[in-house]
Amino acid sequence: MPTVIVDGKEVELAPGERLNGIQAAARAGVEVPHYCWHPGLSVVASCRMCLVETGKKDPATGKIQMLGKLVPACQTPATDGTVFVTDNDNVKNARAMVEEDLLLRHPVDCSICDKAGECSLQDYHFEYGREERRADIKPFNSRRRSLGDTVTLFVDRCVMCTRCVRFTREISGDAELMVANRGAHEEIDVFPGFPLDNKLSGNVVDLCPVGALGDKDFLYTQRVWFMKSHDGVCAGCSTGCSIRVDENQDRVYRLKPRENPHVNQWWMCDEGRYGWKHIHDPNRIAGPRRRGAKGMENVEWPQVAKQIDSDLRRCSGLAAVVSPHLTVEEAYLLATYIRGIRPNALLVLGPIPVSGEDETFAKGFTIRAEKCPNRKGVEAVLTGVTGTPLVTWREFLDKHLPSGSYDGVWVSGGYVAPWNDTAVADRFARVKTLVVQDFFSSPLMETATWQLPAAAFAERDGSYVNHADRLQSFEWAVRAPAGVKVEGHLYWQLAGRTGLFRSRAVLDDVARAIGYFSAATGVIPDVGLDLKVNQLAGAS
Amino acid sequence: MNPAPVRKRVLTDEMVAKIKAYIPRYPSKQAVTLPALHVVNDALRHVPLAAIVEIAEILDLAPAQVQDTLSFYGFFKQDKPHGEVRAWVCRSVSCYLMGADQLLDRMCDRLHIHPGETTADGKLTLEYAECLGACEHAPCMLAGETLHKSLTPEKADAFLDNL
Amino acid sequence: MAEFEPILLANIDRPDSHTRQVYESTGGYSALRKVLGSQTPNDVKETVKASGLRGRGGAGFPTGLKWTFLPKDHPGPIYFCLNADESEPGTFNNRYLMELDPHQVIEGLILSCFATAASTAYFYMRCEYPLAWKRVQQAVDECYEAGYLGKNILGSGYSLDIFLHRGAAAYICGEETGLIESIEGRRAWPRIKPPFPAVEGLFRKPTVVNNVETVACVRHIMERGADWFKSMGVPPDPKNPRDAGSYGPKLYCLSGHVNKPGCYEAPLGITVNQLIDQYGGGMRGGRKPKAAIPGGISMGLLKASEFDCPLDFNGPGKYACLGLGTAAVVVMDETVSMVDFLHNSCQFFAHDSCGQCTPCREGTAWSLRLMKRILAGKGRLKDLDLLLEIGDTIGITPGTTICGLADGAAWPIKNAIRKFRGDFEDHIKRTNPEGWMRTDPVPALDLVEIH
Repeated sequence: MPTVIVDGKEVELAPGERLNGIQAAARAGVEVPHYCWHPGLSVVASCRMCLVETGKKDPATGKIQMLGKLVPACQTPATDGTVFVTDNDNVKNARAMVEEDLLLRHPVDCSICDKAGECSLQDYHFEYGREERRADIKPFNSRRRSLGDTVTLFVDRCVMCTRCVRFTREISGDAELMVANRGAHEEIDVFPGFPLDNKLSGNVVDLCPVGALGDKDFLYTQRVWFMKSHDGVCAGCSTGCSIRVDENQDRVYRLKPRENPHVNQWWMCDEGRYGWKHIHDPNRIAGPRRRGAKGMENVEWPQVAKQIDSDLRRCSGLAAVVSPHLTVEEAYLLATYIRGIRPNALLVLGPIPVSGEDETFAKGFTIRAEKCPNRKGVEAVLTGVTGTPLVTWREFLDKHLPSGSYDGVWVSGGYVAPWNDTAVADRFARVKTLVVQDFFSSPLMETATWQLPAAAFAERDGSYVNHADRLQSFEWAVRAPAGVKVEGHLYWQLAGRTGLFRSRAVLDDVARAIGYFSAATGVIPDVGLDLKVNQLAGAS
Repeated sequence: MNPAPVRKRVLTDEMVAKIKAYIPRYPSKQAVTLPALHVVNDALRHVPLAAIVEIAEILDLAPAQVQDTLSFYGFFKQDKPHGEVRAWVCRSVSCYLMGADQLLDRMCDRLHIHPGETTADGKLTLEYAECLGACEHAPCMLAGETLHKSLTPEKADAFLDNL
Repeated sequence: MAEFEPILLANIDRPDSHTRQVYESTGGYSALRKVLGSQTPNDVKETVKASGLRGRGGAGFPTGLKWTFLPKDHPGPIYFCLNADESEPGTFNNRYLMELDPHQVIEGLILSCFATAASTAYFYMRCEYPLAWKRVQQAVDECYEAGYLGKNILGSGYSLDIFLHRGAAAYICGEETGLIESIEGRRAWPRIKPPFPAVEGLFRKPTVVNNVETVACVRHIMERGADWFKSMGVPPDPKNPRDAGSYGPKLYCLSGHVNKPGCYEAPLGITVNQLIDQYGGGMRGGRKPKAAIPGGISMGLLKASEFDCPLDFNGPGKYACLGLGTAAVVVMDETVSMVDFLHNSCQFFAHDSCGQCTPCREGTAWSLRLMKRILAGKGRLKDLDLLLEIGDTIGITPGTTICGLADGAAWPIKNAIRKFRGDFEDHIKRTNPEGWMRTDPVPALDLVEIH
């Protein structure tokens, strides 16, 4: 096993593993500060913050020969026998020098800068910087210029790490960002008339190690130290980017991508990044209502489960439209509940929203046309529960509904954009008991017997399966609004289970019951679980 | 990419042909960037933003990439053409030792401009240069393609008189 | 020394020395004919290696050794870049050669390309040399006409194209990977190494970058042999196993406060005193010398008492200078203020720092701001400590920067302040009697930025 030595500590690398000094040191629990290096971008070694000393250990004699000058850890490969020293005076002085250099002309903006609290310049100054300012004093605030619809630039805060420029050249591809001028006059800019305008634009804000790049959507809305971060999965498309939901007191302020080498690397698209506004939309269905003699009447949640259940049991033919926005667990609970009432109940896959075409960027990141997070998961649940081929929404509308056999239908929604019209609603005219569970009003919702609110992705516990059969599990980040009972909780209650809803327990049931999910026992890793690979490896 | 705002074409057919003639010399079109900037600059005495867009189109680049390169060099003016004559007074060590700073100041005073600016009549742009590589003739000035050697206040005045 | 028979400058006094006709009338292109007729690229590489030729562009790296770094049996293409970006303040010998004897350079270039199996040579010339540009282009055209360039040169089977590529006034394009980036059409930010250009250079192919004077020497080495080349100059110090010697003729640029500034050819190793007295006609106005730059401003400063420094690859280093550099000697007499001089130096490096890496971008700008404040009569003694700290910490020598521009910026600071500390302290105390002793930060000057 190749062994690297970091500050005297040995670190073993897996054979064939290619790490640089920063990564090798991280393995040893040592932080090597850096600005310009990023694992997803080219190595430029220009910030010089990661300077360390390096050498080689002679395998025969065990003697260590040091190179004698500083090298950037980001461009130094960690191979068998490589020695890194990150804690001697030479390295500490170099770090202090770089940090001081970056602060020479830095605006005094911390108190008005979004990045405060998650800023590398602040953090490294605290850890590695000089005690006092030695340079001349000239306090000023940064200039600001807009780079496009999503990103604004605080020009003078930039430390010229060029991560943002490299991102637009190496990943998103349209090369909108540039460095202008030379030397200490350098600034980031766009060409007039060609703003930063691509579907991945928000990622440059994640990349910026300081407060130079600001997300216009998030700007000045919340201080980072008030927010809590929750791991989640984006519900925008079938890529299923791993994300982080940052919220304070149940208000979402922003989404950020989480690193996942199997799904999204380090990125997420703008549509997903900014696609959470519906969570706090005041037009959301606010609470459960039932159609009575005098129109829609509010029902208290403790009564809802009992009344819906008795309404459904009075129906002769039952169907459930299971939305691809539901989690695996919720889909399973709804499907088995309905089948529990009528073993021959029809299970239908809800409409799959599709927009445009799959779009793949350099190095593989893809935005998918299928704009829902869990079609594969829901499909597998439905076919697993019924043992019969899938019934699509189209088939249900054209064949099954007109047959008149179904007088009780549960339609689960969770669609953010309008998805049905009066023509669709009319098809449900003969359904005596129509339950519609969704975010917003729609023609279908307006004809429903029961109008139930839907929960947003950030409000639920559960699992999604993405386009590549990867199952990712997550927990809720914000509480749903007061009148909203998350689907999982409602279905758990309808199914007669006692105690609080536990998605893990349901997933265990699903894994036992349906072969496709057989690998989903035990702890689901942060990066998710490839169901296909693991299924082929062994299961029922 | 966004469609560019409609601009009036700046590059003449002749300029485009000259630029394209460079393409076979290099395995990458981006390498024609500097030659293209010089073609346009030689013809127009500056490289306006609209020209950048057109150069970028010919070379399959984003305008920002071409502008990035141009702005690094500081050689190309963009807002308006430089003077009919562009004169560089060297300010590096050998010329500085021989009084170049004072000469430049004197000339700027006489013309009522700052270094880098163009006279009101558009005849002359006066700038400083870093080492023109003619140190044996310090202090020296490169005006257009003519090297003025061992510049004295009198010679400088004569040069300005003869413009 | 004055009896030294010029080699590189042998033809420059002839009328129309820049034409092929005149060049050939004195034996020009005989080396090319000989080599292409009977020798292999390896033969040329071995000869150049044996000659001990070291690069004349500033770094002094052994040329033959650099050529061996190219990968063997590479399918190609291999590129050659001729570095005619000559921008080191004080330096003008490349200009001399290109204006007055371009064919010598081209013959040397073709031989060097043959040796390294390069298929295309890019002759990168700075835009401030319009006469050299015209003459070199004309010479290249003449070579194509004569069959010295193009396909199947002189029936040898070797083909080569030379393309001139015009720079745009940026000193850092003289750094070999800065030059490569510039040719590729990007901002001239030098690349991190490894990979080195010989392995992955221009367009990511194996590339050799050499200086104009260096390839001119190749011409003469192939004409007269490695032993002849080694008969001039200074052999290696036997006590230093890493000394590669200082062989061959050298063009010295002499400028500043001497009576006869100019480009002079002498064997490597003459001293500053010899250069001033025997070539430069002595100090102008009979004044006393104060200091001299030994090899372009990046190399630092020699005090007048150090003018016995031999100008070979080892000499300046013994006097705390960076090295021989471009062998451009700029002489300063007693009228020069060292404070003014250092300001001029810091101004140059701040203007031309490419800005890519933090210590150089910020260090050069900071040193200029310090010098401006000192000149404005608001300096502190502490500023000298800060300047020295900047000088001691930026550069490829300590490993803190990507390229050697920072070392070039650092050496004048270190030499000027350490060798002339008294001048700086006097100036500061005299012009800032109220504040020279302050150590806490002071308000910055409001500087008007021009350009």
